[in-house]
Amino acid sequence: MREKATTLYLGPQHPGITGNMMVRLKVEGDTIVKATTEVGYLHRAFEKLAEKRNWLQTFTLMCRFCVPEPDPMEESYSRAVEAIEGRIVPERAKYIRVMMLELARIGSLLLWHAGQAGSTGLYTVGQWTVGDRNYILDLFEELTGARIYHMYIWPGGVRRDFPEGFADKVLKTMDYLEGRLKDYDNLMFENSIFQKRTQGVGYVSPKQIIERGVVGPVLRGAGIRSDIRIDDPYEVYDKLDFKIPTETSSDIWGRALVRREELRQSIRIIRQVIEKMPEGAIYNKVPNPQKWTIPPGDALARTESSRGEIGFYVVSDGSNKPRRVHLRGAAYVHAMTLLEDVLVGQNISDVSTIMNSLGTCAPEIER
Amino acid sequence: MDKGKRFDTIRARIKENFVLSQDKIYADKNRLDISVSKQRTPAILFFCKEQLGFIHLMHVGIVDWIEDGTLELVFMLWSPTEKLRVYIRTRLNRENPVMENMDMIWPQLNTYEREFKEMYGIDFKGLIAAEEFLLEDWDGPPPMLRDFDTEAYAQEVFHTRPGREDAQDVREAIIKRSQEEIPDFAKKYSRQ
Repeated sequence: MREKATTLYLGPQHPGITGNMMVRLKVEGDTIVKATTEVGYLHRAFEKLAEKRNWLQTFTLMCRFCVPEPDPMEESYSRAVEAIEGRIVPERAKYIRVMMLELARIGSLLLWHAGQAGSTGLYTVGQWTVGDRNYILDLFEELTGARIYHMYIWPGGVRRDFPEGFADKVLKTMDYLEGRLKDYDNLMFENSIFQKRTQGVGYVSPKQIIERGVVGPVLRGAGIRSDIRIDDPYEVYDKLDFKIPTETSSDIWGRALVRREELRQSIRIIRQVIEKMPEGAIYNKVPNPQKWTIPPGDALARTESSRGEIGFYVVSDGSNKPRRVHLRGAAYVHAMTLLEDVLVGQNISDVSTIMNSLGTCAPEIER
Repeated sequence: MDKGKRFDTIRARIKENFVLSQDKIYADKNRLDISVSKQRTPAILFFCKEQLGFIHLMHVGIVDWIEDGTLELVFMLWSPTEKLRVYIRTRLNRENPVMENMDMIWPQLNTYEREFKEMYGIDFKGLIAAEEFLLEDWDGPPPMLRDFDTEAYAQEVFHTRPGREDAQDVREAIIKRSQEEIPDFAKKYSRQ
């Protein structure tokens, strides 16, 4: 006999939800038969505000699209502006940008460990990884003056050079984190609860991958070796040696293994950056921000964040303000049409685990 | 084959099948820009995806060119095998922006269309799931259009919290309470 369908509202204040959004679930028993993403709790009109502010004032808004990983937003916006204007960025600044992006990736992946493990009931993992993330935030604070929103990668370069002894601190932090990875493995990846809750759950099919515009670890977890850092290289990624991990299971477990390896690769990249970074200028100074105009044109800058490809489409009409700034984050598709598809047939208890696995981030949907 | 020649080949393939309003190759930016009418846009998107390997829809940009009375849509495509970009541009009449629904080509377009319908007032004919996206019970004009004055709307709709009617500058209020002078460096930011 068919069970009676019930509507269940998950979020926007549910602890298992990944940000201020809601998923409306139609369930029969414990099984989801329909899922609808509901957004609108977080709209801050950043893109509208950008049209009223000059190019530099807009830069200070861009990082706020994403709390866990704001640096790719700054970098992507800055690179789009530089592409329209033709502004050259000093080589040292490019290396520093890559270091910042990879530190941000590590910080974001450490938070992901907490969310992903926490959604399966393994709370100790989060206490360890969020604690370790603080060492990354310490580095950010020393270099930029801020722990979360750095406003550091601005058009023309970066805002400050390394303080004395900073490179050593970065390397020591990397050594410490590398030593901790075996502990994360022990607590999370080798834990049978985590394995049973993630293997074969949240499967994304090859058809969905193309049709839904899947990117990042979700794409690589399905066996496709695709990463903007390699495919459409930016900054100095083409001068660095690193691997793009892939898995073939296309489930939560596969995506978790991809992220586990990406953390290792980011440590590897940061060590190379410190070793290869040249001396020199860090900033190609822009004119007085109130008078700084950008020639008419448009550009899309793509950056590989820990959740996948993000892109800023920036349009200039020749004035001192952007005509349009338009973000496309990974979650714009992952948390909408893809999530709604993937949740069908899954158990209610797996919703949070799947959402974490897809890199759901509500601020990327409603900017 | 160098990028310029590969773009030439792609442009020739498209021109064999479609009439283009305008096209330009930006080899240094790794992209081919094509402008087409809104009627041809769905077909050319489908052709690029199915025949030319531009399977990844990177982004769909929208710009309000209020001076020209048009809304411009920019479909940004990526070929993972060729590592090239193609931008398909089309313009809609701003006063009556209507276009065919295209989410059968890429289902992810559904989210873009829902957003553009609410924020720019574009009517995508045949769009399913056209329920509210971001705005709740909204009956005003599309708020992302350039002639929508967000500040005026906020002042008209929202009320000042009791106790904040005088809209004091926080710094000034603190100074008044503590009976201290505003430091010189802070005066220039003061509302007075």
